[in-house]
Amino acid sequence: MVAAEQVLDVEGHPCVVVDRAAMEYRVVTTDSEAVAQERRDTSFLSRLGRRPNTVTVRALYELSLVVERGESVGIIGRNGSGKSTLMKLISGQVKPTSGAVFASSTPIMLGVNAALMPDLSGHQNVVLGCLAMGMSRREIDEKFASIVELCGLEDSIYLPMKSYSSGMASRLRFAIAASIDPEVLLVDEALNTGDAQFGDRSKRRMDQLREQAGCVFLVSHSLETITKMCSRVIWLDKGHLIMDGDPDETVKAYQDFTGHLAKGNNLSAARIRDEARANLQMTEVLARSKMRRSKA
Amino acid sequence: MSAKKALLPEPAVVQPLAVDMRRLTRVGARPGFLDYLVQLWDFREFIYYDARARVQSGTRRDRLGSAWLLLNPIFNGLTYYVIFGILLQTSGGIENYVGYLVIGIFIFQGTSGAITSGARSIHSNKSVVQAFNFPRATLPIGMNIREMMANVPLILAMLLIIVLIPPVEKITWLWLLIVPALLLQALFNLGVGLILARIISRVHDATHLLPFFMRAWMYGSAIFYSYERFVTHPELLAVLKMNPLFNVIDIIRNCVLYAQAPTWQSWATLAVWALGALVVGLVFFWQGEESYGRG
Repeated sequence: MVAAEQVLDVEGHPCVVVDRAAMEYRVVTTDSEAVAQERRDTSFLSRLGRRPNTVTVRALYELSLVVERGESVGIIGRNGSGKSTLMKLISGQVKPTSGAVFASSTPIMLGVNAALMPDLSGHQNVVLGCLAMGMSRREIDEKFASIVELCGLEDSIYLPMKSYSSGMASRLRFAIAASIDPEVLLVDEALNTGDAQFGDRSKRRMDQLREQAGCVFLVSHSLETITKMCSRVIWLDKGHLIMDGDPDETVKAYQDFTGHLAKGNNLSAARIRDEARANLQMTEVLARSKMRRSKA
Repeated sequence: MSAKKALLPEPAVVQPLAVDMRRLTRVGARPGFLDYLVQLWDFREFIYYDARARVQSGTRRDRLGSAWLLLNPIFNGLTYYVIFGILLQTSGGIENYVGYLVIGIFIFQGTSGAITSGARSIHSNKSVVQAFNFPRATLPIGMNIREMMANVPLILAMLLIIVLIPPVEKITWLWLLIVPALLLQALFNLGVGLILARIISRVHDATHLLPFFMRAWMYGSAIFYSYERFVTHPELLAVLKMNPLFNVIDIIRNCVLYAQAPTWQSWATLAVWALGALVVGLVFFWQGEESYGRG
């Protein structure tokens, strides 16, 4: 790894800075071989206090990013590549195992994961969700009509949420999350839910939000959406950063990669990935106020 | 692990970027303790709405609805009356045993319900915790307010039972002292709930111990017997009387049943427990603020 000689100054104030964030999970496994391996690798004392039959999964390796105002960043990669983990770190849902994420204001995650309270009515869930995002009752009353319109639930909004179909529930969650105008916006596959009619409405709302937001992170399995909406694309693979740059180039390399994989050419796929990685320009974050605090 | 996997090539270059970090704050960072209290105050509408919505939905699955809030301690009281009052005769020497028992059970159930739901509030609301960024202590606080709201009809029912079932007690001004006693009890419940909520979010095994702990506490709080009957050792008796729940129950029994002003020692013990638990609970819970969303 070569360190560039010259330190580049980032003009102005960036929206999001990811500073050497990494994430590990401990999960239960049924793979007896992995457990035995873990037992050989670690001392008895260090295993004490952990749950048995667990292994450490590295969801994301050390990663640094600087995202400036006006950028919309697409994140692509196969299943399990760390996309959602990265989104969770940026949104503050989970704390990285090491490193840190900084943002200019509280990031808002727009997704279908805003699970709410099944026993309460849709109406109560809207109020509760909005209050949890820090809105006041008056703001909520003002926005209530537009939230109901966006999710298209009409009178069902007064029924308990457990009586909703999964499509209805996810539309409601999206509408709640989209009711706030955030500066840092994270979108995780939110566009793929619900019927076509809702799809149009949600897409319009998304476009509005994207225009108002300072910066946007987008995870989508639709590469077309990514190239259309993003000004920068990040490719992750098994928790490693592979490529970071122009949407068209990155998406093309990724498509080559998955194309070879689909045909079973694992070796040539790996070659494409390794080549992209070898050309990667990694970032290292230096705080300008206290210079050179990293390990050099 | 790493030996099995093909290694990725190192990236070509590491580019240091100097960034002006002054306007950035760490995502999900825990604020200072006083800022945290201010944040909690800012989320008071959330706390209140959450508590109210839960009171309404709590018993909606049952046909008798909210009546269960009342039937539950009444059935409990009957059971204990049959077992301890009639079969085991622990009532010896207690004036107005029914009133004595009813106050003990209703007050204890208030605390055990509040502490249990406060303790589980983070774990049982994990999805909300992961979906939104808000000060997490709002959840245990909301749970405790919910329990307080649900407790109001219970306390009224308790007083009604005492007035209606002979020996009938007269209503005196001392009955008003129930209110500060219950408030101190609620603060104590909240403090213990906050401490347990953090412990349970880290070590979930603790939830299995909670019912045993509550049961032991109940048997140790002089609910269907009096300490004086079984404990003759004066020092042991003094230790037993430090029990915060015993003090709440004792204060209310003295006011309601025996028309006796509670001693200042009872008030002092209860106040120290309540405020101590609240301060320790808030600080302890706040220290874990960043960890609740995980896993």
